[in-house]
Amino acid sequence: MEITTEQRGTVTVISIAGSVDGMTAASLIGSFRAQVTGGNIRIVGDFARVEYTSSAGLRALLETVKETRQQGGDLRLAGVQPDVLRVLELSGFTHILKLFPDIESAVASFPA
Amino acid sequence: MSAGAREPNGPRVAVVLGSGSVKCAAALGLLKVLQREGIGVDMVVGCSGGSLYAALIALGHDVATAEAMTRRLWTRELTSRRNHRSFLSVFLPGVFGFDESFGMVNDRLILERLKSAFGEATFEKARIPLYLTATDFHTGEQVVFESGSIVDAVRASIAIPYVFRPWPVGGRMLVDGFMSDPMPVGVAIRQGANIIVTMGFESPYQQKINSPIRFAFQLSSITSNNLLKANFSFHNLAHHAEILPILPEFKESIHLFDTDKIPYVIEEGERAAERQIPYLRRLLSGA
Amino acid sequence: MIGSGSIKCASALGLLRVLRRERIPVHLAVGCSAGGIYASALALGWDLETLERKSYEAWQGLFARLDYLGLLQILLPGLFRPSAPAGLLAEKRLNAALRAFYGEATFEDAKIPLHLVATDLKTGESVILSEGRLFDAVRASVAIPVLLRPWTVGGRLLFDGGASDPLPVSVAIREGYDIILAMGFENPLNERLGSLMSLISQTTCITMNNLLKSTYSFYSAAHHAEIVPILPTFDRHIGLRDSSLHPYIIERGEEAAAKQLPFLRRLLAG
Repeated sequence: MEITTEQRGTVTVISIAGSVDGMTAASLIGSFRAQVTGGNIRIVGDFARVEYTSSAGLRALLETVKETRQQGGDLRLAGVQPDVLRVLELSGFTHILKLFPDIESAVASFPA
Repeated sequence: MSAGAREPNGPRVAVVLGSGSVKCAAALGLLKVLQREGIGVDMVVGCSGGSLYAALIALGHDVATAEAMTRRLWTRELTSRRNHRSFLSVFLPGVFGFDESFGMVNDRLILERLKSAFGEATFEKARIPLYLTATDFHTGEQVVFESGSIVDAVRASIAIPYVFRPWPVGGRMLVDGFMSDPMPVGVAIRQGANIIVTMGFESPYQQKINSPIRFAFQLSSITSNNLLKANFSFHNLAHHAEILPILPEFKESIHLFDTDKIPYVIEEGERAAERQIPYLRRLLSGA
Repeated sequence: MIGSGSIKCASALGLLRVLRRERIPVHLAVGCSAGGIYASALALGWDLETLERKSYEAWQGLFARLDYLGLLQILLPGLFRPSAPAGLLAEKRLNAALRAFYGEATFEDAKIPLHLVATDLKTGESVILSEGRLFDAVRASVAIPVLLRPWTVGGRLLFDGGASDPLPVSVAIREGYDIILAMGFENPLNERLGSLMSLISQTTCITMNNLLKSTYSFYSAAHHAEIVPILPTFDRHIGLRDSSLHPYIIERGEEAAAKQLPFLRRLLAG
């Protein structure tokens, strides 16, 4: 799994490539947490290159969602691929997270 | 399928088979793939249609035998004989005594066939721990079978509401497990499983709702499908390790008694299982 | 957020009493099944006395006529054992009561954002209603399976939201609300099944109760902050024979809410 970070105004875009699962969860949370500690609580997770996600991976994601929301921010997802979307739907995550077709709309969704 | 030579605190692999009638045969496709990969199953949990396959797997039957047994067991004839007293009790409850033992279909045949498939087999005879679930009709709670007669447990687990009458076991009136938990991942979690491989299907919706009984079936499908999703979502969050859902896709519709489509169903089960193999292998080697 | 539960939802008024007394502002109201009646009343901002009076009159007016048994069967399917569908006459009365309660009020009249939840009869999906006439949305959401006919809204045939999302907190969670007050009840199960209708009702209620528990567990685990459960207990069988039980129901709601007050106060302060 590879992670790259980019700042767009007040929003941090974290692009992930590969698999978000129990084995990559620790480093994923690490990257996200580094942003949150640094005060960046408006995060867009760019999932365009995420091919697989597991239940443990989702739980890791949820950790960041909670941490950002506790501080008044949010983690929103962009460009989720069909297979991964299916898992998000199955696990109820589409009910509790905001999803967008691309990075631009996800970034724009945060209030100015 | 033996537990294999594995360390006591190594990963425990559980297979959970939920409701879905004929589609549940896809579990045999999953079994084929696991056997081919040399992945041992340490525990099986079954509910509704899945209970049949869970029992067959736990008793150690190979795929070919299990397939043949299913085709003999599950045919249209099962619902061909009506339960006349039940029908009459709907219209004349005072005379024929409508009560909880209502069931539109005469269940003598299904019982005979279950007995010929499982005989006197008990849970204790299973090669790996087996758990089958049903629902208590008075309290709505899930009831888990882990001992006693397998025929009793399977008959209770597949007591489809309105179709087969509830099945009494141990002083409780039991109905289809899907009313309390269509895919009982919670049972596997409670029993300490680490990697949980699941397979379960939504109940079909009616094309047209033009009679009370179709309306009843539609309600049953709507509520149990939503329960399936809600429970899966919750168990996902509650588990400490991994839940791997196997999601076969069927290009044609599979109806309640389409047993001639079983080979196709098994194939799709295999295909779906293959998709999880890479990650499953990594989990088993890395953990 | 007020979930399913027919008349016991009147205890939501007890919750309201507590919130108003403590001056705890409510920013979003979501309702499901009969809970939708109270959630919308809350959102419309009617003063408490008007609300209590209207609620009392609505329930009472429904029982003023001779065949009140039919109405009781509609409103509390779990406690009564109907041998036949309640019939159009009883349903017309419920519709009239709801129309009297809401008039022509629409979602736009609500003082805070309001969402009501129903279930699509064809697809089983949960449907969130946030615009149009309140009467239509509430009537759809409250359509208890078997005993009330589904209701068409926006071209879709809808019924009880409790069959798909009995505790519709997902909206509140997605929108980032911190504290969610969730009031929910299980459908009581029949002791004796004497008719096909009661069998269908029992079967459906069993699954719906399990859905309620599961939904609550999921959202509790998924929420970043607190879902405060307000769970009124009733030490007597709640029948609708006399609506003098109405004050008692409100009281129990008040008590359940009061129990959570210390915790709620700490949450709001911190």
